[in-house]
Amino acid sequence: MHISEGVLAAPVLLAGAALGLAGTAAGLKKLDYDRIPQVALLAAASFVASFIHVPIGPASVHLVLNGILGVMLGWVAFPAILISLFLQAIMFQFGGLTVLGVTTCNLALPAVLGYYAFGPGIRSSKPRVSAICSFSCGFVAVLLSSLAVAGCLVLTGDSFWAGAKMIVMAHIPVMFIEGFITLGCVRFLKKVKPEMLEVVYGRR
Amino acid sequence: MIRLKNICFNYNSRQVLDNVHFRVDPGDRIGLVGPNGSGKTTLCRIIMGLLTPDAGEVEIFGQIRRKENDFAAIRGRIGFLFQDPDDQLFCPTVLEDVAFGPLNQGKSPDEAKRIVQATLARLNLTGFEERFTHKLSGGEKRLVSLATVLSMEPEMLILDEPTTGLDEQTIETLVHLLNGTNLTYIIVSHDKDFLERTTNKTFSIRGGGIAGS
Amino acid sequence: MKLEEFATGSSFIHHLDPRGKVVAAACFSGLVSLTQSLYAALAALALPVMLVALARLDFKRLMTRLAVVNGFILFTWFFIPFTFPGEVIYSIGPLDIHREGVLYACLLTVKSNAIILALIALLGTSPVLDVVHALSHLGVPDKLVHLFFFCFRYLHTIREEYHKLSEALKVRSFRPGTNLHTYRTYAYLVGMLLVRSFHRSQRILEALKCRGFSGRFYILHHYQMKRRDYLFTSCGLVLPCLLVVFLA
Ligand SMILES: Nc1ncnc2c1ncn2[C@@H]1O[C@H](COP(=O)(O)OP(=O)(O)OP(=O)(O)O)[C@@H](O)[C@H]1O
Ligand SMILES: [Mg+2]
Repeated sequence: MHISEGVLAAPVLLAGAALGLAGTAAGLKKLDYDRIPQVALLAAASFVASFIHVPIGPASVHLVLNGILGVMLGWVAFPAILISLFLQAIMFQFGGLTVLGVTTCNLALPAVLGYYAFGPGIRSSKPRVSAICSFSCGFVAVLLSSLAVAGCLVLTGDSFWAGAKMIVMAHIPVMFIEGFITLGCVRFLKKVKPEMLEVVYGRR
Repeated sequence: MIRLKNICFNYNSRQVLDNVHFRVDPGDRIGLVGPNGSGKTTLCRIIMGLLTPDAGEVEIFGQIRRKENDFAAIRGRIGFLFQDPDDQLFCPTVLEDVAFGPLNQGKSPDEAKRIVQATLARLNLTGFEERFTHKLSGGEKRLVSLATVLSMEPEMLILDEPTTGLDEQTIETLVHLLNGTNLTYIIVSHDKDFLERTTNKTFSIRGGGIAGS
Repeated sequence: MKLEEFATGSSFIHHLDPRGKVVAAACFSGLVSLTQSLYAALAALALPVMLVALARLDFKRLMTRLAVVNGFILFTWFFIPFTFPGEVIYSIGPLDIHREGVLYACLLTVKSNAIILALIALLGTSPVLDVVHALSHLGVPDKLVHLFFFCFRYLHTIREEYHKLSEALKVRSFRPGTNLHTYRTYAYLVGMLLVRSFHRSQRILEALKCRGFSGRFYILHHYQMKRRDYLFTSCGLVLPCLLVVFLA
């Protein structure tokens, strides 16, 4: 989901930065001081988890996990995703400073959408509803994120159409995997620590 | 100093403490023993007001404490060493971590730095100021967390398994340090030898109850 | 995943004030990503190359890092030369390679690598905590800075937990494959990491309370900008500006 530095056009970068800033400000506003360790550790855990390589046929993909983050964090997903991207930029140079806003939006906007669209369903006590919603949440979050990445490329120049299409296609298997992982993860959390799904990380 | 009356506590309907009485008087050096999962850590957290008992009374320094604010007032006066030092060391460097408590108590940065240096020296940790907390070894982490507790100059200590992961030499330092203070303390430990040398009373928790000896 | 691979070293770059480095890196990244001229980009590339040389980074590890992060750029080479309109210089079957397309792909490659190298040379050569510290001095909101601190601090702890869990999987002869069992296992692994992080964060909060935390963190360490820091930062600001203005 990382677009390299130096690729995107200035208007796209600026729009991304502005949106990312607004989203992060909204998230920080909903984040109380005494929730900071919780959110930071959740971000760290998802950072570590995103290095898990899940096999699919002969290849393997790594997890994105923005769907499940969104359900737990709501708007706070913006700062949480921003810090993990910034750390990746300074430690591994995956992404960088100018694309920080764009990538934050690409990952966090679908997360926040998932929070509103699937959160209530996931928290439902009916196992079937919860299962369908959690699978969709993981699936749709990756779908939207890859569409957003594709959109940023196409807005930069028409010559990126082919690449944009390839990116979305390549993420189709990831969507299914994220769906399954989110489904399993929600089931696990519901059994072990149900309050984590109740938006304890920030104010609603 | 501490009086617990009829304390009951359960985690999601699993009874851990059942009608427990416990008291600590000034000058007591108490060893608290019990099998794994018997509720020793739970008892400590109740004293610190980090958990609220389902029933019973917690009296500390002569006052009954119920709400968060009641406990906030005593936390600087009772130093609590966590079982896992990683939970306690959250600042980037040793200096910042050990200074964190004194600064919250309203000390000036210079004063705080002096306290840090003195505390580190007491624990043979001189020169550790600029080390990153997450890069310390397990034993060093435990000593530094002890320093974070001592730097607040508490009147009483609660140490949850302080000797785990320490070598004999360091345990010796600790024994020496504890015997050299006149602080009241409670030590949770599975190390019989260490308790024998540092405490004058033993309580054991088992099956939800507590018994003195 | 190796954290802070280039952060330790004794060169003067390693000792520069992190605030100056952050400002210079941000400025350089911003300006270079605006450039549309290949010459300007090439000239800009010289700057970080020089910095990397001055920082005396391990060449082999540097190349490995560049190879890893150039995945996306490599990907653009698979379509930009064909899809960017321009003069046809070569045809492979039905596909035409365009001159302008090749140049555009070159431009993206040079820009991207210039920025990556600058990030390595400037931000990679300070410990992460120093960079975050610098951010707090540069006006980044408190809450965000504390999020960084806690996140980075516990990244190590959680990574160790993850290694332990995955070793536990291995010793019980778990073999990942393309099947539901694998996905379920990984889902539980992720769930377990999240739950543990949650428990740990609660204990951290307790530790904060035990030490009289009242919502304020104090910063004890203060940076001093030295003459060389001012000099360096202003070079970092002025040089890329000149490049862009004159060559673009
Ligand atoms: N956060 C929690 N949620 C649910 N149950 C818990 C929690 N913390 C502890 N318990 C349970 O409460 C019981 C007592 O735990 P406690 O940590 O007080 O034991 P302990 O005596 O300190 O054990 P050890 O010697 O292993 O440290 C255990 O059975 C444990 O499973
Ligand atoms: Mg315990």
